[in-house]
Amino acid sequence: MKVTPQNVKEYILQGLECEHVEVEGDGRHFDAVIVSKAFEGKGMLQQQRLVFQILGDKMDIIHALSMKTFTPQQWAEQA
Amino acid sequence: MDEKTIALEEIRKTVTGNPVVLYMKGTPQFPQCGFSGRAAQVLKACGVEKYVAVNVLEDKGAYDYLKFYADFPTFPQCYINGELVGGSDIMLDLYQQGELQKLIAGATV
Repeated sequence: MKVTPQNVKEYILQGLECEHVEVEGDGRHFDAVIVSKAFEGKGMLQQQRLVFQILGDKMDIIHALSMKTFTPQQWAEQA
Repeated sequence: MDEKTIALEEIRKTVTGNPVVLYMKGTPQFPQCGFSGRAAQVLKACGVEKYVAVNVLEDKGAYDYLKFYADFPTFPQCYINGELVGGSDIMLDLYQQGELQKLIAGATV
């Protein structure tokens, strides 16, 4: 089953309230930019674990996902 | 002991017995995946002379069970002083902030 960046974006949004999500990818490797209030107070690793828990068994078909995670404030600062 | 317990014990020994460990697809010279290659490049950029690179494509135990060890499902995974630092994206981010170099310098074990 081929996974598209749009699929990955929907999977993330199904479980995580986000201010902004961008996903690019070639069907096996995906790069995501995710901005969510849920990341507040968490280190990078914890933020990524949260996203991986939400994606759950979909990670078996996504194979490789690289992420840049931001809180809304960090996103505003770097924009 | 079952396969999973054996594999997790093997991983524990490797990451706690070596200052810097990189679980990757392929080898630093011949990475088999873009992200694994990027992780090896970051360690090279940090000037890490010797570190343990585990090719998970040739280590079924690591391939199947590493995701349970530190609750992180993807490859590559970099461990410093037995602790998961992250995948290639976190490694790159820490490197750009100069933090990865500090972690590595402090890696004693």
